[in-house]
Amino acid sequence: MKTILTGICLILLLSRSWSPAVAETIFPYRVHTEVLANGLKVLLIPMDSPGLVAYYSIVRTGSRDEVEPGKSGFAHFFEHIMFRGTKKYPGAMYDSIVTSIGADANAFTSDDITAYHLKFAAEDLEKVIDVESDRFQNLHYELADFQTEAGAIYGEYRKNVTNPYEVLDEKVRDIAFDVHTYKHTTMGFERDIKAMPDGFDYSRSFFNRFYRPDNVVLLIVGDVNVGKTMALIKKHYAGWERGYQPSTVVPEPPQTAERTGEVSYQGKTLPIIDIAYKGEAFDPTNRGFVAAILMGELAFGGTSDLYKKLYIQEQRVEEMQGSLPSQRDMPLFEVVAKVKKEEDVPAIRDEVYRTIATFQSTPVDAQRLADVKKRRKYGFLMNLDTPEKVAGRLATTIALTGGIEAIDQLYAEIDRVTPDDIMAAARRYFTPERRTVVVLKGARQ
Amino acid sequence: MKTLTVTLALALIVGASTLSMGGVSMKADNVVQLRVKNDPTISFRIWFKVGSQNDPQGKEGLSEITAAMLTDASTLRNSYEQIIDSLYPLAAGYDATTSAEMTVVYGRVHKDNLKEYYPLFIDAITAPAFKQSDLDRIKSQVLSNLENTLRYSSDEELGKAVLYNSIFDGTAYGHITSGTVTSVRSITIDDIRSFYRKYFTKDNLVIGLGGGYDTTLVASLRSGLAALPAGKPAALAPPRPASVKGFNVTIVEKDAPATAISMGFPIDLLRGSKDWYALAIANSWLGEHRNSSSHLYQVIREKRGLNYGDYSYIENFPRGGMRNVPPQNVSRRKQIFEIWIRPVPLEAGHFALRAALREFKAVVEKGMTKDEFTLTRNFLRKYVLHYAPTTMERLGYAIDDRFYGLQGSHLAMFRSMVGTLTRADVNKAIRRYWQFGNMQIAVITKDAKGLREALVNDSPSPITYKTPKPEAIMEEDREIAVFPVKVRPENVRIVPVTEVFR
Repeated sequence: MKTILTGICLILLLSRSWSPAVAETIFPYRVHTEVLANGLKVLLIPMDSPGLVAYYSIVRTGSRDEVEPGKSGFAHFFEHIMFRGTKKYPGAMYDSIVTSIGADANAFTSDDITAYHLKFAAEDLEKVIDVESDRFQNLHYELADFQTEAGAIYGEYRKNVTNPYEVLDEKVRDIAFDVHTYKHTTMGFERDIKAMPDGFDYSRSFFNRFYRPDNVVLLIVGDVNVGKTMALIKKHYAGWERGYQPSTVVPEPPQTAERTGEVSYQGKTLPIIDIAYKGEAFDPTNRGFVAAILMGELAFGGTSDLYKKLYIQEQRVEEMQGSLPSQRDMPLFEVVAKVKKEEDVPAIRDEVYRTIATFQSTPVDAQRLADVKKRRKYGFLMNLDTPEKVAGRLATTIALTGGIEAIDQLYAEIDRVTPDDIMAAARRYFTPERRTVVVLKGARQ
Repeated sequence: MKTLTVTLALALIVGASTLSMGGVSMKADNVVQLRVKNDPTISFRIWFKVGSQNDPQGKEGLSEITAAMLTDASTLRNSYEQIIDSLYPLAAGYDATTSAEMTVVYGRVHKDNLKEYYPLFIDAITAPAFKQSDLDRIKSQVLSNLENTLRYSSDEELGKAVLYNSIFDGTAYGHITSGTVTSVRSITIDDIRSFYRKYFTKDNLVIGLGGGYDTTLVASLRSGLAALPAGKPAALAPPRPASVKGFNVTIVEKDAPATAISMGFPIDLLRGSKDWYALAIANSWLGEHRNSSSHLYQVIREKRGLNYGDYSYIENFPRGGMRNVPPQNVSRRKQIFEIWIRPVPLEAGHFALRAALREFKAVVEKGMTKDEFTLTRNFLRKYVLHYAPTTMERLGYAIDDRFYGLQGSHLAMFRSMVGTLTRADVNKAIRRYWQFGNMQIAVITKDAKGLREALVNDSPSPITYKTPKPEAIMEEDREIAVFPVKVRPENVRIVPVTEVFR
């Protein structure tokens, strides 16, 4: 009995802690972390932000969790449904409350996260906790609302496909992945979006499986008092029942050979080439992954030799960038270039390959590596000046890892990366077997 | 030593003449300061009193390209590659925005890195190299934006650009900042040199400085910018667009996947006046940007699911798809009232146009109800807080205050006016500045002739839904479908997309 008590005390101590803001950590604010009995994790970050608060409800579910055939796009669709209200606060009343307090309320969905966020005046914190806790526990919507919202989703899809990069992304994922749900974009396959009005029952199960306290993290940043806020959180969220049922996301088997494809864009655009490599899941302690992020910047970023050659000196590309995202599962590490002349596309592709070969065989200049590290540090520090920016910067890390410890781990690991690590990362990830190459061309010239 | 004394003396003079207003120091000279002691960064905004209105005829786009030749190109000291290399580790940069009347070179840096950043920033403004290869690259980008992005992959921005161009046709505001394909192609290094010498002068600028800077930086900036050419260009009179009579429709025909609509008319109202704040309340209710509180959003998106959003404006709001709150430093002396309908299904274009105009007519005729007024007032009083949470944004507002000749802060005035204005004030402003029946309309769609036919004949435009809708909505739909928006045949213009910005 005594042992159990001790155990409980320890858990309490551990789960109500101030992370010390010590010198070797990069994140400049103190964080209060507490986990409720139902599994709801709460992160409070008081900061000097006269009268303003950012409030994020982070659901650790995204389009990655859409494992059932025909249901792609549902995580994002569900994000819209969450604004339809409850019996206590129906959609129109929710809108009217949010409006009456002059809050800015919105949400976003990606592969790994669905986040609902508000920014508002500190004096309205209790009101916000009331309406947010209510919709997460008691969402209620009728078939007609559900079907109307499906129309808005299709409208959003139509808006997006006028952007060639969206069309390209759709195609690259479809070719690169066979079984993993990253095969579809967060919007979903068009055929599934069209069928959304028939998915009412499925939407209910979606809510019951994923919108549970043990799959949600509350992040509150700004002009808040920890004691008072935690008391309100407990009052409003303690009754929420746990019951998260994780999706069984099938891992993508290793790719064994290069894949290629083409896609036509309905409008007019310069051709765009996307060279994508199977990467690795976000892990701030994985030196290879961390080195790959830096390599992406060194090889393809705005000051890389390749960018200077193709964009500034020879002016053969109109845009070029590397994208090495942090994701829960294996993402695509991509190099994307908008090429001025269609016949030059293969040559641009070969320039990218040559750059990779150089990084695989030659250690990068130590000063350049130091520059990238410094840039990442200041890039991070300069963008923590409002509650909204702090919360927005942390949200994805929280969705991926459940907390924010990974931020300090990541920057510590970045500091340790050497030129040899960069070379090893280039060899490990940027191989032909991991590669998918897709070229987008405009249908009208 | 001598230099140091002068610098200190200057700093003292500046300090003495400072009059603090809500954190922003306004002075009679050309410096706007916003010191925020615990901000670890420093924000710069150098405002030149020049914009696309100053583009010479046939050289439209010159002001935007000249600004880009300062911030995205080589200087006499450094090549463009050297510049981006130097800025890179600082995670800092600078850029320029050009609008009809303002060009602002802005940048932000962590104070740890000010020493390395500052000379690059000053050089960009005072010592541009104006190299041909930089111009080729920048022109190619602008042309691609006109010929590809705007014409073919951003129907929303295309609609807005066509609307502004039609309303201000024949005036100095009558072209977008990027100009036209022909004019941009004709721009030479000599054009840029002479435009720079005429407008980017030390007598034609206002220095904006914000964040955790040391006060000596003000004097350094002054002396640094003193290297600019001298001269004060003559001010242009504000444009006087022709008044709109009836519904005038420009249909841009293209193989569009959906129909995008923008419409509006000029208004004689600028921020600072009581009526502006009164009309801002009405406009927020009708169409607060990217907010579900927007009434148009409720009618078209929320109830009917026709699109992604529907908003209205009483001030210019470029790149609305990219931001949630109003931008800074796009001030102008002539504004329009504007309604923005995001893309709707092709077959619902005429219906959505009617739905928006019907709501607008109702508010013009009946004004705001007591409940609508109270809700919107409460909303705005706090929502305005989100317009400028960062030092850089607040500095932008302070510069705009200077543009409009305001004694205090527009945002502070906004919040206080919202608290004191009455419903009668708002409804009076609606009657004075809004009217139904005279409107420029820009539509981007596929079947232009079909739409012209329908508009000219005022044909019914019923829509169907894939899923059942409540009877109240079906009933309202029947009224919308025949809501009169009659357009005279000579007031409809069809333009192939390849002709736009030519």
